[in-house]
Amino acid sequence: MLSKRLLKVMAAPLALLLAACSAGSTATAGSTDTSLVVAFAVEPENLDFTKTAGAAIPQVLLNNVYEGLVTVDDDGKIEPALATKWTVSDDQKTYDFTLRDGVTFSNGDKFDADAVKFSIERVKSAEWTVALKSGMDVVEKVEVVSPTEVKVVLSKPSRDWLFRMTTRIGAMFSPNGVADLANTAIGTGPYEVAKWTRGDSIELKARDEYWGDKPAMKSVTFKYFDDPTAMNNALLTGSVNVIGSMQAPDSMSQFKNDSRFKVIEGITNGEVVLSFNNAAGPLQDIRIRKAIKYALDRKAIVDTAWNGYGTLIGSMVPPTDPWYEDLTGLYPHDPEKAKSLLAEAGTPNLELRLRLPNIPYAVAAGQVVKSQLADVGITATIDLLEFPARWLDVVFKQHDYDMSIIQHVEPRDIAQFGNATYYFGYNNPKVQQLLAEADQGTAEQQNTDMKAAARQIADDAAADWLFLFPYLAVTDANLSGVPKNAITESFDVTSITRS
Amino acid sequence: MEPTRQDQRTRRRPLGPTFVVGAALVGLVVLFALISFVWTPYDPTRVDPTVRLVGPGAEHWLGTDKFGRDVFSQLLVGARTTLFVGFIAVGVAAVIGTPLGILAAMTRWRVLSELVMRGNDLLLAFPALLLAIMFGAVFGASTLTAMIAIGIATVPSFARLARSGTLQVMATEYITAARVAGRSTLAIAWRHVLPNIGAVVIVQASVSFAIAVLAEAALSYLGFGTVPPTPSWGRMLQESQQFIFDKPLLLLWPALAIAVAVLGFNLLGDGLRDLLDPRLEERR
Amino acid sequence: MSNSIRQLARRALILIASAAAASVLVFGFMSVLPGDPAEIALGVNATPDAVASLRAEFGTDRPLYVQYFDWADGLLRWDFGKSYVSETAVGPQIADRLAVTAWLVGAAILVALLIAIPLGTLSALRHRRFTGLVVSGLSQLGIAVPAFVMGIALIFVFAIKLGLVPSGGWTPPTEPGKFLSQLVLPALSLGLIQGAMLTRYVRSAILEVLREDYMRTARAKGASSMRTLFRHGLRNASIPVVTVLGLHMTTLLIGSVVIERVFVIPGLGSLLLDAVANRDLLVVQGVVMLLVIAALTINFVVDVLYVVLDPRLRGS
Repeated sequence: MLSKRLLKVMAAPLALLLAACSAGSTATAGSTDTSLVVAFAVEPENLDFTKTAGAAIPQVLLNNVYEGLVTVDDDGKIEPALATKWTVSDDQKTYDFTLRDGVTFSNGDKFDADAVKFSIERVKSAEWTVALKSGMDVVEKVEVVSPTEVKVVLSKPSRDWLFRMTTRIGAMFSPNGVADLANTAIGTGPYEVAKWTRGDSIELKARDEYWGDKPAMKSVTFKYFDDPTAMNNALLTGSVNVIGSMQAPDSMSQFKNDSRFKVIEGITNGEVVLSFNNAAGPLQDIRIRKAIKYALDRKAIVDTAWNGYGTLIGSMVPPTDPWYEDLTGLYPHDPEKAKSLLAEAGTPNLELRLRLPNIPYAVAAGQVVKSQLADVGITATIDLLEFPARWLDVVFKQHDYDMSIIQHVEPRDIAQFGNATYYFGYNNPKVQQLLAEADQGTAEQQNTDMKAAARQIADDAAADWLFLFPYLAVTDANLSGVPKNAITESFDVTSITRS
Repeated sequence: MEPTRQDQRTRRRPLGPTFVVGAALVGLVVLFALISFVWTPYDPTRVDPTVRLVGPGAEHWLGTDKFGRDVFSQLLVGARTTLFVGFIAVGVAAVIGTPLGILAAMTRWRVLSELVMRGNDLLLAFPALLLAIMFGAVFGASTLTAMIAIGIATVPSFARLARSGTLQVMATEYITAARVAGRSTLAIAWRHVLPNIGAVVIVQASVSFAIAVLAEAALSYLGFGTVPPTPSWGRMLQESQQFIFDKPLLLLWPALAIAVAVLGFNLLGDGLRDLLDPRLEERR
Repeated sequence: MSNSIRQLARRALILIASAAAASVLVFGFMSVLPGDPAEIALGVNATPDAVASLRAEFGTDRPLYVQYFDWADGLLRWDFGKSYVSETAVGPQIADRLAVTAWLVGAAILVALLIAIPLGTLSALRHRRFTGLVVSGLSQLGIAVPAFVMGIALIFVFAIKLGLVPSGGWTPPTEPGKFLSQLVLPALSLGLIQGAMLTRYVRSAILEVLREDYMRTARAKGASSMRTLFRHGLRNASIPVVTVLGLHMTTLLIGSVVIERVFVIPGLGSLLLDAVANRDLLVVQGVVMLLVIAALTINFVVDVLYVVLDPRLRGS
């Protein structure tokens, strides 16, 4: 008897706690008309993309908080932004921009030609440290013609420069707004950072004084989830409205078959590369590299590792680039050919180190690659390296690897094959020359040269391209204006509306 | 050598139900591991896209995972990983901790004893998961590094146990007799102390084994555990959690396997304690 | 009495020496971590010059012992330094996250006690009977479930199928309704398992107490068993239980990282994991030092209490 009474006494507070909790449980986040919660996996470490690499910072800030003179639309076309128009001189070296009038920064400063000169020159200074700043190397000088006119002079013609101005290096800063970039972002965009709860979320708030069309969402929160399943659960239970980048593609079916949600499938710039160490070890031998490429069934890799989402690409060029060419047929799945190439190379019982970053797609794809290589007699040993720290150190810096898998997300990153000291260790002067020529020639020549370079790299089996990482977003069914592709570093929330 | 006191006790006592159930469950895990050496229905690491996410049936008894790998085969081989995990963690802890504890209890230099026990307290201040994460960061994620870390974090439990056990033994008359007879300290430790504290150490080992198995699962979830494609119950859980809607069974099998192992070793530990330490049993 | 004071002084000295040893250990560990914070901040295409200048900015180009004393000196003034990654002070960052985890762990302990005290008592009182066996069995089963599996299962049932509570997230207690609704599942996941573990301690503590002479005397004098148990039993049994809880506190603080990840809670554990991944060394050092000092202090307090409370231990 004693124990029963005791149990009751003790259990009462527990019941109370449960009751109290379920009472306050209505899903409230993001349910008002003008606020939105967007889920992503990787939280920015700080707000300063001039010093910190990685996509997380520009994802939330670019186009939403910071704007450039020009921007790029969903299909990869360059569009006016803070510059209303521009002209290019006949020698392709001088750009005259006309600036939009009446634009202010979120600290009240006026946006004018001086801010443009300041921002571009700052990229060239030691203040910017990210490697992407090299996109501005070609700029010789910036002249303020009038408060609304700027002349930019390049040292040599560069097809690439204006495109680079749509990325983070083209972001416009106020001379008075760069004191504490890591914690304070001051831009001309439709939003400003209202609150940052570290480890959890960043809240953007619409600016009343924005020069352009006011966004429909007055408040947008970027919320970060380490765990893909937790992210899905949050959408299912209504505490987020958009999954900006699906990390668990195997769970897509639960959203596809649910009328409460809308699924968006698009493309990214992220080539998932099975990189080879061309400079050291067994993979110096082109026959072995080719054998690996023949041994792989990329369709099966995408199907098993990423639930069939993702586009097969035969080169480092995504279909959105003007010089894209379908090279997927170059190395069909042919285990017999792989075996004979290996026999020719005279390396039976080949053992290779497959050193993977501990990122979901790499770990998943790596296991399939290992199994497929085993079918042709290659033993691949998987090492998991903590990303970014250890992977950067071991694979990227020390080149201590045979194969790795990582997504190369920067736009037009085929250029890295022209860099012999890059971790690919790929050194073909012909490719280097083609890439250099492409930048300086006419648009047509650029196309021809880039195509030739991409094909040469594939012919040399310098790497394998497993698939183009898909853009998978899931949103509440009543939302529209969510980006259709992810080909820039930014996740543009400015045109999202709710019906 | 005279029979130790523990020996005399063990002979008299019947096996308790706790011990039997625990031993049976542990036996099941060992059986799985042994079978996996001679036979698995399929190669547990072979990826086959044509049979992705097949449900349980005649072809694949427990179905397949998203890579088309046979779940039952993975469970069998995963038992090896589980045992490996436990042996490493407990081995490191017992092999370092027990002698340290005996040393602290038997040494004539108080400073040494003090140093060992304070070092022990210091180590106790580092939680096991924390050590495992740090080790993973320094030496790279692998089952071995994770379990060495768990083992090191478990050293204090063994050292404390060994020390208090040794102090008890040292207080007995026959140790005094042995000392008077001029036996060396080392001989006393080997002949008298170790056999007498062996029982408590084994009990502790069984319980620590269960903790190590759970730690492997947690570390796998965080990405510091067993490296794929080596089958591990913890990683199977982690890989299948996104299927909780469509294929909840994928989550159930490894969870069940882990529960069986943990339950088994915990019960075995309790059963052994009852068996080896009748004083406690009488008090229950 | 002077004996006790000497005892206390000795323990305090040990505490300080241990903390100093710990700081060297922690710092040493950090310095062998592969990966350079400057390189990681600059990403995959960094130039050597940029890396060198960032290293100088971080101060990681200085000799190790200089870095150590710089850091240790700050620690003494309760200054954990400035994070390489977020460029903000480390101390407040840790404090923010600690506040979150403290709520979670506190609630979990509450749940655990609410389970363990009645169930442990019950199974002690009925220890040779069916009820006792069932409770013991349940607690064994509870211990055998990995915490994150418990979390995933609770989310599936209570958040997704029943829609009673959110599946995760965190709101500060300033909004009590939302705060509690988000706290309940993670607190349960952590608390149920801790409760299962604690049930065993409570059970054996109560068993121990029931055998004590004063309990027998009280019962023999005719006091109702309920009152006796409350008056003497629980109070005495609580000492070992509280000790166990105290010693497990840091394990709980760091062990909650798994639950924090399942429920998307910005706590201390996730700060540590992120900081390790980004080689935000000062944050890692800060968190680890804090946990270690907390553990040592709890240990010290327990020691002191024993010296103060238990006359038999004095002078030993």
